[in-house]
Amino acid sequence: MEIGPIVRALLRNKLGAVLIAAQIAFTMTVIINAVFIINERSRLMARPSGLDEANIFHVVNIGYGENYREDIVIEDDLAMLRQMPGVRSASSINAIPVSGGGSSTGIRATDDPDTASTPTAIYRADEQIFETLGLNLIAGEYFRAADMRIRSEPGETLADKAVVSAALAEELFPDLSVNEVVGRTAWLPGVVPIQIVGVVERLQAAWPNASFVENSIVVPELYIDTFTRYIVRAEPGRRDSLMAEVEEMLASRPVDRVIRDMESLEQTRESSYRIDSAMSTILSIVIVTLIFINSMGIVGLAVFSINRRRKQIGTRRALGATRPAILRYFMLENFFITSIGVVIGAVLTIALSIVLTTNFNMPTMAWYYTPIGAVLLVLIGQLAALGPSTRAAAIEPAIATRSV
Amino acid sequence: MLKMTNISKVFRTELVETHALSDFTLNVEEGEFVTITGPSGCGKTTFLNIAGLLETYTSGSYLLDNVDVTELGDFQRARLRNEKIGFIFQSFNLMPDLNLFDNVDVPLRYRGMKASERRPRVEKALESVGLLGRKKHLPAQLSGGQQQRVAIARALVGEPRFLLADEPTGNLDSNTAQGVMELLNEINAQGTTIIMVTHDQELAQQSPRNIHILDGRIAQESGKRTPVTPAETAAAVA
Repeated sequence: MEIGPIVRALLRNKLGAVLIAAQIAFTMTVIINAVFIINERSRLMARPSGLDEANIFHVVNIGYGENYREDIVIEDDLAMLRQMPGVRSASSINAIPVSGGGSSTGIRATDDPDTASTPTAIYRADEQIFETLGLNLIAGEYFRAADMRIRSEPGETLADKAVVSAALAEELFPDLSVNEVVGRTAWLPGVVPIQIVGVVERLQAAWPNASFVENSIVVPELYIDTFTRYIVRAEPGRRDSLMAEVEEMLASRPVDRVIRDMESLEQTRESSYRIDSAMSTILSIVIVTLIFINSMGIVGLAVFSINRRRKQIGTRRALGATRPAILRYFMLENFFITSIGVVIGAVLTIALSIVLTTNFNMPTMAWYYTPIGAVLLVLIGQLAALGPSTRAAAIEPAIATRSV
Repeated sequence: MLKMTNISKVFRTELVETHALSDFTLNVEEGEFVTITGPSGCGKTTFLNIAGLLETYTSGSYLLDNVDVTELGDFQRARLRNEKIGFIFQSFNLMPDLNLFDNVDVPLRYRGMKASERRPRVEKALESVGLLGRKKHLPAQLSGGQQQRVAIARALVGEPRFLLADEPTGNLDSNTAQGVMELLNEINAQGTTIIMVTHDQELAQQSPRNIHILDGRIAQESGKRTPVTPAETAAAVA
């Protein structure tokens, strides 16, 4: 092995090597952090909402005019929706999970208003909402029609029962099992007591990037207003056709209103995660571009270095170097340059990760990202150098005696 | 030592066929000092490349130290070059980024020798050309003559059976060239066979045996074979 001479030769002729090492360090820093961000986004986007997303759609109803009676319209609409063939369940709800818009509140496990409250999304819906959303009850029971409270003015919650997500139950009562949480009382703002009657496995809030996205509470309460959201769960395979039928049915009724924003929950989810998805795509393009530029840089340096040393290579061959020995020489040289870049890159990667974690509220990058990235970059470097090095190994020894 | 019989080398392109060597037959005995002369393009370098296993030939046979090299693969040819042949080039062909020690060390590394074995041999070779004290210098820090001495040390470090020198004084002034020739004569006197390609007629006339090549053939041969046996070498040294 010619480690010593290769290193000494690199140290004497370092400009090209330093530039490539710097490029590798920069590439590594950006790529590893970008991959981490993409993975984080993907993980967030892949989280289940707890809903039967494939079969759910929703629509907004806005009534107008003096003759518009929202209480009657909502009751009739829901009755008609529930009778439609292919509809498994339909409800009225104040906000759509994972839609980006909804209501939140603070909830406490004690009636002491000075204790810190736990943030949570709050859904106000009828007793059929659990069937409509397709939630999975893991403790207690759902509230019933008799528990429903109707109001037409904004204000404190009138309901006295609630179903909560398991994440919220655990955060409110960390020492209790979900079964033990059932029957407990929690307090909403204004020291409004509410009894937890059931716990669902999962129900996400309306804001996918909220820190409390897994915290949700559903209360049996309908806010009668001109603005109403209907949410419908179709039988499997009937969603798309039902969306058109529901719109037609609602529009055909003699009511002064506007029907709009008909959307499947899958479309809603896609729309909510559009920025995350776009960020992942852009970062993927950046990664591919950087790897390409980096590889081209390595190829360029290797080709330049080999062309500059054709006579040297011929001389080495004349002095007894085999083709594998020449190949090994240039692969080793590339390995050293890449390794220097990777070591500097590892330091910069961790530094950037700390900056992102500290300033942008990102989770800490797992330890294995840096070593895996380093190994991959060295491999990419070796792959990029393989072609030029193979060409170098093919140089004939007779070139040593040529005068030019 | 070197026995070429009816060696031909033809370079072919789509349009033209060039006969660089034609029916070239030459025997060089161990210990000889042979100069090869001839005008540019006569086939001197082709002969040197074939003799040094730097390129293959089209037809004929070539025995190097009783080894038929005709069918040898790239690996065996590299091995033979490393173990039996020392090269001295007109432009010295030193590695500019390596110091003198590392330059002379190159052939031994390709032989796979351990560092502890290589070091004394490299230092001895550098000492034999009077440059041991400058082993950490780079080639660019030396004069042309000194660089050629380093190249000679590199050629000798592997203790080859014969040296192939391609215009070794071609880039040197006359005084320096004379010094290099004296060094080569000393090496030859110690038993190393030397074949030297040169344009310098004066040097060729001093040589015990001169081969003049014209159009890829031996046009004229002067001098006689003066093999130096180990006994003769011992007598000369005494």
